[in-house]
Amino acid sequence: MAKKFNIALSSRLSPFQKFYLLVIAGFILGPFIPLIIQSFAFRWAWPDLLPGTWWLEQREKAMAPLAWDYVLSPYSRVWEATVNTVFIGTIVTVICLAICLPAARVLAREKFRGKSAFEFFLSLPLIVPEAAIGIALLMMFIRLGLAGSYVGIILAHLIPTIPYMVRMLTAVYQGLGRDFEEQAMILGASRWQVLRLVTLPMLLPGVVAGALFTFLVSTNIFLLTFFLGQGQIVTLPTLLFSKIAGGTLDASAAGITLIVTLPGIILLIISERFIKEEAFGKGFGN
Amino acid sequence: MSVSSPPAPSARLTARERRTRFWQMVQLMPIMAILVLLFGGALVLAILQSLGFAPWFGVNTFPDFSYFGALWGSSTFWASLGLTLYYATVSTVLALILGILLALALVKTFPSKTFYKYLYKLPLMIPYTVGIALAVLMLSNGGMLSRLAAFFGMIDDPSQFPQILKTHYGWGIIAVYVWKQTPFITLAVYAVLLGIGRETEEAAAILGASRRTIFFRVTLPQILPGVVSSTLICFAFNVGAFEAPFILGGGFPDTLPVVAWRYFNDADYTLQLQGMATVVSIGLVAGVILFGYLAAYRRYERRMGRN
Repeated sequence: MAKKFNIALSSRLSPFQKFYLLVIAGFILGPFIPLIIQSFAFRWAWPDLLPGTWWLEQREKAMAPLAWDYVLSPYSRVWEATVNTVFIGTIVTVICLAICLPAARVLAREKFRGKSAFEFFLSLPLIVPEAAIGIALLMMFIRLGLAGSYVGIILAHLIPTIPYMVRMLTAVYQGLGRDFEEQAMILGASRWQVLRLVTLPMLLPGVVAGALFTFLVSTNIFLLTFFLGQGQIVTLPTLLFSKIAGGTLDASAAGITLIVTLPGIILLIISERFIKEEAFGKGFGN
Repeated sequence: MSVSSPPAPSARLTARERRTRFWQMVQLMPIMAILVLLFGGALVLAILQSLGFAPWFGVNTFPDFSYFGALWGSSTFWASLGLTLYYATVSTVLALILGILLALALVKTFPSKTFYKYLYKLPLMIPYTVGIALAVLMLSNGGMLSRLAAFFGMIDDPSQFPQILKTHYGWGIIAVYVWKQTPFITLAVYAVLLGIGRETEEAAAILGASRRTIFFRVTLPQILPGVVSSTLICFAFNVGAFEAPFILGGGFPDTLPVVAWRYFNDADYTLQLQGMATVVSIGLVAGVILFGYLAAYRRYERRMGRN
């Protein structure tokens, strides 16, 4: 009895859990090892576990590893795609934040007729498959002259990002409560002072979490960008797609894959340092 | 703390009320505009076109169910639908199991916990296309697993390695979805686990419940909201995903999003209406399944006595 009780309550890992964590680490990180090796390979024939010829041995033929030489050259369009991805993500985040903050405040604090219907409608874009709207959206944008334009892609990115942003901000407003604002008003603060000195500082962690998550979702969107960009606007996901669409992965594709991974790693480090898990979680619970 | 405002003359109250209502509307308007015009507009356009309303192609036979008839009457549609649902379901279930196990491990204390909190979120942060590239690198016939098999002397030619990619079993597609979505489900479940604390589990343990009982009777019902919302999102995404089945799939019959894309890119533009019927079918199928899933969950909640 005592032993069973201990196992059930133990805050330490069971042997299975230790094993499982190792498996997960291998599952998530494992594929990156051959990816890095591939990007430095010159020739890597089957069944060698390591490249037969590394770029180092072919230095006189190429200045940098083939992959990186290609990635850094203008032909690869990597720089263009990176700038586009960051630019679109930033604009989408700013617009999304601007239109979601007031709405979240209303949703968290007011009661009005049709509120639950409105909330349901808000979460619809999360569960309607992207393919079901992407092609129809393209038809609309072709008519409006927005296909293949930044405006079109930014508008389209708002659809899947708004639901996350509203949910996270609504949760933040609900947690905030009115008490502090009312206290400040009683003590004679003006509306502007309340907003600047009380509301905003308390909102900030949630706003940062929402902004990071929106940026992340935007930089990850493939389908809408691919359909609506019409090949004229490349982002990191669409660039990589066209590189691997044939179903093979050469050294230059490996280099691009690593580049496409980089923004995610940077975002991961930023969000892990500044945001609590609970803040992200608020977007998903109930 | 909030004190309700003192009773005022009714006329002034309604005026004030009307003003607040107006400002509420103003604040909700931008979101409504974007979602109704873009999202709703796209949906309505897709439905209209799939029913034969496309004057810009010189086609207007609205309402015309022949496109759906032609689509639903062909056996390849049902094969495509079956494949789409198969990939979506298997990956969601696998990701759910892996995700819950991972979240349960993460609430424990262990030395490398900080490392793992970074590690498990990595796939969440990077695009699906990266996952596809990794699948090609690992699982193709000349890939790493095949090389490892050769290293251990199990095969001596790439063609002897079992075909994982570009088959209708779809293990490559499923691997990518699971790799990308396990972190998503873990995050949702882990956040709920942190929120509920461990008191009820402790109480159950003191009362002599086994670990299995504690999980199924105490923990699982508590994390269910996070489980339902995250699996809904993953499943719906998988049904509509295009890139993984396009690159890693087995070819004809394709999944529905790839089928729609092929119709839409066909030189024969009348097939675009057929494509729209496919698109609407994707939405319908996803809608019906998700609605059923939510209804079942609501019924369960009621039975458990939660609103």
